[in-house]
Amino acid sequence: MSQFGDYMAELLATKPSQDITPFLSQYSIYLYISVIVVLVVVVYACKKVQLIPHGFWAGGFEHMMDWLRRDVGYNVIGPDADRHMPFLMTIFVFILTSNLIGLIPGVHGATGTIGVTLALAIISFIYFNYYGVKAQGKRYILSFAPKGVAFPMNVLVWVIELFSCFLRLITLAIRLFGNMYAGHLALGAFAILTSVFFMPLAQGLTLAAVGGALPGILWFLFLVLMYFMELLMACIQAYVFTMLSSVYIQLAAYNEE
Amino acid sequence: MGVIGYGLGVIGAGIGIGLAAHGAALGIARQPEMQSRLFTIFILGAAFSEALALIGLVLALIQ
Repeated sequence: MSQFGDYMAELLATKPSQDITPFLSQYSIYLYISVIVVLVVVVYACKKVQLIPHGFWAGGFEHMMDWLRRDVGYNVIGPDADRHMPFLMTIFVFILTSNLIGLIPGVHGATGTIGVTLALAIISFIYFNYYGVKAQGKRYILSFAPKGVAFPMNVLVWVIELFSCFLRLITLAIRLFGNMYAGHLALGAFAILTSVFFMPLAQGLTLAAVGGALPGILWFLFLVLMYFMELLMACIQAYVFTMLSSVYIQLAAYNEE
Repeated sequence: MGVIGYGLGVIGAGIGIGLAAHGAALGIARQPEMQSRLFTIFILGAAFSEALALIGLVLALIQ
């Protein structure tokens, strides 16, 4: 069992963010790969726009777009959602692709590092503030204060709401990064546990080694279970990021009671 | 020590997500036609309380 601690410390100590050169890492290589994958799939799917989409990719993209427009667009933003769909769809497809690429064993997906998720969060932050200022002008900064609250409390709530607006930037970044990184760590821990129990088998096929490998089978089942859990998590986190972006856009730009 | 602190912090997030799931399940049982809206609200609530636990995880890891 002490082997597990050693391997786990090694896993935690690896910093793939700087491994090739200080400016090029495995994360950035997989970032470019996921951008290329998105571009290829989208260009292939939308090569010719048809009234009735034919084929696997075109039909799938059409379905996803339609679902996002209904579920994230019209449900949250309202009838003006079509203006924001290109942005939300781009964010969703990119995050989903990099999350799923990160689940291939041995790959460091781009969303597993704080730099990429913080960049995405800053893009979203600037986007919804831009539309808030565009819709409300100078009154946007005052719109954080709730209406119908008496004078002294008004100012206090305004300060808290302004602070929580900047906190949105941090929580958007931390949520995506934390989910992905914790998932990768959990998968790594289960993989290490499996290999620790199976390792005596590699040195010789004895009865003791076979008996010692039995708990490894259990850990391997946990690993497979966790992998499917992370597959679900990759989709849900892309959805949550898109959903929260659209909720923030709605709060900033369309919140006139 | 950081791991213990993270475990303590996760209690609150667990209660929060559990409450969100409870409310969503009750609402869907009463009004099944509202399922898609309630699921969205549940995901949002879970995401907000999950963020607190994840900040704890990041703090436990970077120490």
